[in-house]
Amino acid sequence: MFKNTLGGKGRIVGSAVIVLLFLFPLFLPRFYIYLISIILLTGLLATSLNLPLGYGGIFQFHHAVFYGVGAYAAALMITKSGLSPWVGFVVGPFAAAFLSLIMGLICIRLSKLYFGMLQISLGSLVWIIVYRWYSFTGGDNGIHGIPVPEIISSQNNAYYFTLLVTLLSLWALYKIINSPFGSALQGIRDNPVRSGMIGINVKLHQLMVLVIAGFFAGVAGSLFIVVDTAVFPDMLFWTLSLEVLIMCLLGGWFTFLGPMLGAAVIISLRTFVSGFTDYWTLPLGILMMLVIFFLPNGILGYIQDKLYGKIAEQAEAVEQTDLAQPAVKES
Amino acid sequence: MGGICMKKVIYLSIFMVGLLGLSLFSSSSYGANTIKIGIVDTYSGPPATMSQDVLDGFKMVVNEINAKGGILGKKIEFVTRDEKFKPDVGLAMAKELVLKENVDLLMGTISSSTALAVSDFARKEKIPFLVTNSRTEKITGEKGHRYVFGIAENTAMAGRAAAYALSKKPFMKYWIAGDDYEYGHSIAENVWNNLKALKPGVQLLEQTWWKVGESDFTPYITQIMSAKPDFLIAATGGATMVTFAKAAKATGLVARVPIYQHTVIDYGVLGPLGADGPEGVYGTAPYLFYYPDTPANKAYVEEFRKAYGRYPQMFALFGYSAGRLIEKGFQKAGAVDKEKFINALEGMVIDSPVGKLEMRACDHQLQLPMMFGVVKKSPNFKDFLVASDIMMVPSKDFMPTCEEVLKTRKN
Amino acid sequence: MDLIYTIFSPKLMSQIFVGLSRTVILFIVASGLSLILGVLRIPNIWHGSLYMVGAFMTFTISGAIGGGSLGFWMALFLAPLGVAFVSLIAERSFFQHLYEREHIMLLLLTFAFSLVFGDLVKMVWGMEYKSVPVPRVFQGSVHLFGGLPFPLYNVFLLGIGPIVAVALWLIVNKTKIGKISRAAAVDREMVGAVGINVSWVFAFVFMIGCLLAGLGGALVAPTVNVSLGMDHTLIMEAFLIVIIGGLGNIWGALLGALIFGLAQSLGILIWPQFGIVFPYAAVIVVLLLRPTGLLKSTW
Repeated sequence: MFKNTLGGKGRIVGSAVIVLLFLFPLFLPRFYIYLISIILLTGLLATSLNLPLGYGGIFQFHHAVFYGVGAYAAALMITKSGLSPWVGFVVGPFAAAFLSLIMGLICIRLSKLYFGMLQISLGSLVWIIVYRWYSFTGGDNGIHGIPVPEIISSQNNAYYFTLLVTLLSLWALYKIINSPFGSALQGIRDNPVRSGMIGINVKLHQLMVLVIAGFFAGVAGSLFIVVDTAVFPDMLFWTLSLEVLIMCLLGGWFTFLGPMLGAAVIISLRTFVSGFTDYWTLPLGILMMLVIFFLPNGILGYIQDKLYGKIAEQAEAVEQTDLAQPAVKES
Repeated sequence: MGGICMKKVIYLSIFMVGLLGLSLFSSSSYGANTIKIGIVDTYSGPPATMSQDVLDGFKMVVNEINAKGGILGKKIEFVTRDEKFKPDVGLAMAKELVLKENVDLLMGTISSSTALAVSDFARKEKIPFLVTNSRTEKITGEKGHRYVFGIAENTAMAGRAAAYALSKKPFMKYWIAGDDYEYGHSIAENVWNNLKALKPGVQLLEQTWWKVGESDFTPYITQIMSAKPDFLIAATGGATMVTFAKAAKATGLVARVPIYQHTVIDYGVLGPLGADGPEGVYGTAPYLFYYPDTPANKAYVEEFRKAYGRYPQMFALFGYSAGRLIEKGFQKAGAVDKEKFINALEGMVIDSPVGKLEMRACDHQLQLPMMFGVVKKSPNFKDFLVASDIMMVPSKDFMPTCEEVLKTRKN
Repeated sequence: MDLIYTIFSPKLMSQIFVGLSRTVILFIVASGLSLILGVLRIPNIWHGSLYMVGAFMTFTISGAIGGGSLGFWMALFLAPLGVAFVSLIAERSFFQHLYEREHIMLLLLTFAFSLVFGDLVKMVWGMEYKSVPVPRVFQGSVHLFGGLPFPLYNVFLLGIGPIVAVALWLIVNKTKIGKISRAAAVDREMVGAVGINVSWVFAFVFMIGCLLAGLGGALVAPTVNVSLGMDHTLIMEAFLIVIIGGLGNIWGALLGALIFGLAQSLGILIWPQFGIVFPYAAVIVVLLLRPTGLLKSTW
């Protein structure tokens, strides 16, 4: 995936970054390890949103529901049943995927803005239930002090676990996007009518995308428990969904790694601007406006455009010389 | 092709490094010669005005201490973080303060959820956490531990004090309504359970719970009025007080059904309401700036007004107490050592505008008195209503005993 | 006769009336949102902030003019105009350059604006609670339905609602610019081809929509806590109302607001703790049965 991002040398850079990530705990202060853990799992969440959003063209406006439900399902499983926490971590993503399936079945008949609004309504309903069911879900307190397996309870080990799971998930998502399924998906995004005509079951594909996206959102939710040992009802609130959307936009939603970059930028911004002032939503809003006007394809999108733009120019230049010779066209 | 790729890679790397560099740049002062306090609280949205009051009370003490040269020769330095009433943000900021800013002490927050989450974290990190404004009794009760201290009056205390006063009144048929969150449920439970214990004949007709930040109470109030209870226990949080008071007055609820609300007599609620205040409503609060009319209280109010141009609400007292506890705690400990500080705080007595206050050793709860009064017009203040017929209940008359509190803790 | 009396018990009637007065505020805000969404195709998340600004401006203006009844009426007139002015500046400077782009870009731009304004309001007005007094004329309550009191101010709201609805209908259907707007909603290219400056039509519509948000905020100010965070609570409800009503349809906004407001107040009667669920459930039911909204939309 790094090859697609940055060209041939991308592979080397990508590998270097991964090695660096593994080495961080050796020399970075504890706070940064915590921060990067959060960035990794939030980036995974954003990438999972980008599957239906950027690659599928679906108006997934309330992705956070799946993240929150995954986390709560895992948390409740761990704290209420007597089973091992590992069971909880597996239950989370599947619960999220299941919810995604149900909500998808209900929403899929609508398109575009209506899909988004219906999803927000359903998602808000779920949020209300979680928030008000004080005796079961802890209501506005959330659930704290969730016991996490010994092996991954220390901060460094939690970090490594998160890193490992995130890399594996990203790899899986990348494979999905570059499979025939992924190509069909992008075809549906660009032209649903034509795709339907050549025999692709549009609704089925979209439903599958939603389930996959929900699953990985649930994975991100389980990771949050590993890092913070708590869950909060805000994880299901619509403002988080919009924040994740912004991460995709900021990073570049036609790229694979864009959302991860967007997550890194926004979380870093939030953490460090808070060091200066209490008014951190203002710079975020202004940053968003700048991106919308000047970098509509996001930061990574902009870089890639420049990159492939240059390559395309060079390719054109090569073509120009070819035109002097008789062209042998392939049909 | 290699040249172009490398350039873009370099740009990306510079961007990332720049981001990382920004973090180093934003790190606050490295004064090894200061005592650093990290405060996480909600400074935006409806609760902001209360958190600001806490901070102002605290700043007053800090300025005084620093003017005298600090504690043990070190000045006090504090940093604030706005968690926007979101527990996940609050927890993340507490982590940042401890792991990155290396604070010596944590303070905060008005959100009970955040307070509980941060308390958990403080225990793991073994850093003292002074809870200045959250009211759930779980903080020093069920979830209490060595590293957390409760300063604000908690719902167990308020509930008992109110139940004590209500048991003397003739009301029998009660209705409970309030904000549907930790604080709301907690205060309602505490008032009711204690009342029932003191006066077994009372009857609970029904409960109504609305979402926090509800702006339109009329439908709920009309429902309650049609049931005609003798008395309404309104478990509203600070943010909804003002709205509820307006709705209660507009619908005539105040005239028909006697109501009790914890903290309704605080200046923070009655001030903004002005002449629209809910006359006749009963309330409790640990502090009133006009009562008791002691020299200590007067001096405190004067100093506060000079510094901030307004009267102090009850929350400023918490910030003030925190400041005094920090001052005397480190002085007694003799060093900026967390464990020694905790030992010093246990059983410590500080001076305050409401007299001497003790930080109880067994559960780490500050023993505040409680005022019980009725909202009325006052000849002394033209712009707002005040509490009158005030009963000041000393803490020993309503604090849960050490045994009771420790029994609720699982460990 | 007895049966009718039990069904339409005072309690129920009272709840219905209360639901209706809440409907008015929701309708005014939602109609503005519906206009902007229907004609300009902008999902205006900034609408919530403008509602909040309207309420805060009402506080300031009424306070500046002495805080009494006169202050309130002046504020009711001036605050929405102030909001409209601000929205005009924003539209001319920022929004108009993005009309060719996808909806989601405009949505995110309005979200960015709401973030910025959330902090701006905090900076300008500070964090304390603000209270706007009810004008003397409407203080107190009237006794209906078995003696249960109903605040006079709510009666005022019930009167204002239809007035705004009719005024809006007149503007949209009977004035020249209203008709042009409706045409532009359906086919902006054609309207431009006929020689009309579509850009200024859009600016006008945007302004009216935002003015309505400000008006909603001004009207609601005496009944609630004027505080930060008002924008978040309202915007989601407004959006849902617009969607179930039909985009760009004023009567649809009214119908949606009715459903939402009544579902909420009746829900409280039936199930006090989970009363909030009813409006959302109603929305879901409507969207499942009529996905494009109850009344005709302009999309």
